Amino acid sequence: MVANAENSRTVTRVKTSRLSLNQRRYVAAALLLAPVILLRLFTTLYPFVQTIFLSFEKYNPAFPPRQYVGLGNFEKIASDIVVRSSVEFTLIFVFGSTLFQLIFGIMVASLLNSRFRLRNLARTINLIPWAIPMVVAAVGWRWLFDGTYGWITDLLHRLGIDYSWLIDPVGARIAILIVSVWKSTPFVAISILAGLQGVSEELYEAARVDGANAWQSFWSITLPLIMPLTVTIGMFMLVWQLAVFDLPYAMTSGGPGFATSVLAYQIQQQVATLNYGYASALSVVMFLIVGLIGIIGVVAFRRVQVAL
Amino acid sequence: MVGQFLRRHGGRIVTYIGFLIFAFVMLFPFYFIVVSSFTPRYEIFQTPPRYFPQNLTLENYPNMIATIPFWQYYANSLIFAIGSSLLSTVVSAMAGYGLARLKFPGSNLVFLGLVLSIALPQVALLVPIREMYNVLGLNNTHLGLIILMSSLVTPFTVWIMVSFVNQIPVEIEEAALIDGATLWQTILRIVLPTMRPALATMLIINFINAWNELLYPMIFATRNDTKTLSVGLISLGREAIGTSRPWDRMSAMSVLMIIPVVILIIFGQRAIVSGLTRGAVK
Repeated sequence: MVANAENSRTVTRVKTSRLSLNQRRYVAAALLLAPVILLRLFTTLYPFVQTIFLSFEKYNPAFPPRQYVGLGNFEKIASDIVVRSSVEFTLIFVFGSTLFQLIFGIMVASLLNSRFRLRNLARTINLIPWAIPMVVAAVGWRWLFDGTYGWITDLLHRLGIDYSWLIDPVGARIAILIVSVWKSTPFVAISILAGLQGVSEELYEAARVDGANAWQSFWSITLPLIMPLTVTIGMFMLVWQLAVFDLPYAMTSGGPGFATSVLAYQIQQQVATLNYGYASALSVVMFLIVGLIGIIGVVAFRRVQVAL
Repeated sequence: MVGQFLRRHGGRIVTYIGFLIFAFVMLFPFYFIVVSSFTPRYEIFQTPPRYFPQNLTLENYPNMIATIPFWQYYANSLIFAIGSSLLSTVVSAMAGYGLARLKFPGSNLVFLGLVLSIALPQVALLVPIREMYNVLGLNNTHLGLIILMSSLVTPFTVWIMVSFVNQIPVEIEEAALIDGATLWQTILRIVLPTMRPALATMLIINFINAWNELLYPMIFATRNDTKTLSVGLISLGREAIGTSRPWDRMSAMSVLMIIPVVILIIFGQRAIVSGLTRGAVK
C-alpha cells in the first residue's frame, strides 16, 4: 500500500513536470482567475452587450409581442420630459456632489492626517456616515428636512427663515446633494488621506525653513502632489454616483413632481414596470454619459500631469 | 502679537475647532436617529420638535417588530452579507495573487479590464440579468443575490489584493519553491497567511457594502424569505398611516440596522482605513 502510494506520487510528479515551469504557472493563473472572470462575464459583460441589443426593441413581457423598433426608444427618450429632467438632475447631482465631496474630502483628510490626540477617534467618526446604510441615512435626513417635524426646518424657523425643503423643487435637490455629500465625503477623505500620508515630512520641513506658513505649504506642496490622486478619485466618484438610485428613491421618491428623479431611478422604475426595451435604451444613455465622463477624466488627468 | 500667538498655537486651535465642527456634522443625524427611536410616538409628532426627549421609551422596538417580519429580514441580510463578503473576498484574493505574481501574456489587460468594468453601472445592466435569472431560477434565492453582490465588489477587491500582494517580498515564495514546495503548497502555506490582513479588511468592507445594498435585493428578492433589511425599511416607510410616515418604528429599525456596522467600524477602524488607503495609493 505504502509503496503503491509512493509510486503514484512519483507518477503524477513526472506527469506534471512534462509541463514547463512557465506553463504550470499559466495553468495556475488561469485557475486562480477563473472565478472572478466568470462572475464578471456573467453579470457585466454579457448583460452589457445584451442591453445594447434590447435597446432597439419594444419589449414588455406583460404586453407581447416583442418587436424590433430601431431607434424608436431613443426618439421617445428625446421627447420624454421626465427623462430630460432626470438627466439634467443626474448631471447636477453627479458633478455637484463630487465637487463638494472632493473639497470637503481634502479638508477632512487633512484633519485625519494631522497629529492630535483625538486622531483615532476622528478616523472612527469619519467612518460612520460611510458605513451606515444609504437607506437609513436617506430616511433619517428626510425626517430632519421634514416641513412639519424636522429639526432643520425648526432651527431655520427659529432664525426667522421659513422654508419647506422637500416641497420646493430646488430645495429638494439641494437636500439630496447635502445628504450625498455627507454620506460619501468620508470615503473620499480616506482615499485622499492615503495621498497625504505619501507626502514626505522633509518637504514641509524645507518649506518651514524657507518661511512658508501652513496655508502656503498646503497650496504649493500638498495640493499639487495629491492632484493626480484627487482627479482619479473624482473620476471614480463621478462614475459611481451616476448609478446612485437608493438616495432619491428612499428620500424623496424622485419628488416633488420629478425634480429629484435621476436617470438610475428612471431605469429602476422602467425595470419594475417591465418596460425592458425602454429601460435598456435609458441604460444605453447612461453608458454614453459614462463615456463622456471618461473623456473628461482623461483630459483632466493629462492637464494635471502637464501642470506637474 | 495676535500673529505671534496664532503662529505658536494656531495650528492646534484650528485642528480642534475643525474636529468639533467635523464631529458635530458627522454625528448629529446619527444622534437624531438614535434619540427618535427611544422617543414615544406622540412626542415625535410634536411641533416644535424636542431635541432632548423628556420621556424615553422602548415601545417603538416591539411596535416595529410587530409590523414587519423583522427577524426574518435580519437573518436574510446576514446570509446575504456574510455569503457575499466571503465569496467575493476569496475569489478576489485568488485573482489578486494570480495577477500580481503569475504574470502571463495579457495579464495587465485582464487587470485593466476588471478595473474598468466598474464603469458599467449596476443599475444599467438589470434587464438581461433579470431575464437570465428567470431562466436559471435564481430569482428570490440567496445564492442568486450573493452571486450578484459578490461580482459587484470584486473589481475593487481585486485591486486592493493586487496592490497588497505587490508589497509582499517575493523572496520568501521563491525560497519555498527552491526548497521543493509546489506552487499550490507555497500559496496555501506561505501566501495565504501573509495575506490575512488584506483578507480581514476586505471581508469587513464587503460585508458593510452588502449590508447596505438596496438595488439588487429590491429587484431580485421580492419575497419575504429573501428580502433584506434595506428593502424592509422602505416597505415599512410605505406603511404610511394618515399623512405621516411611521418614523417612530422606522428609527427603531434604523438603529438595529446600524448596530452591526458600528461594531465593525469601532473594532475594525484601522483595518478599514489601511485597506481603503492601500487601494488609493496604487
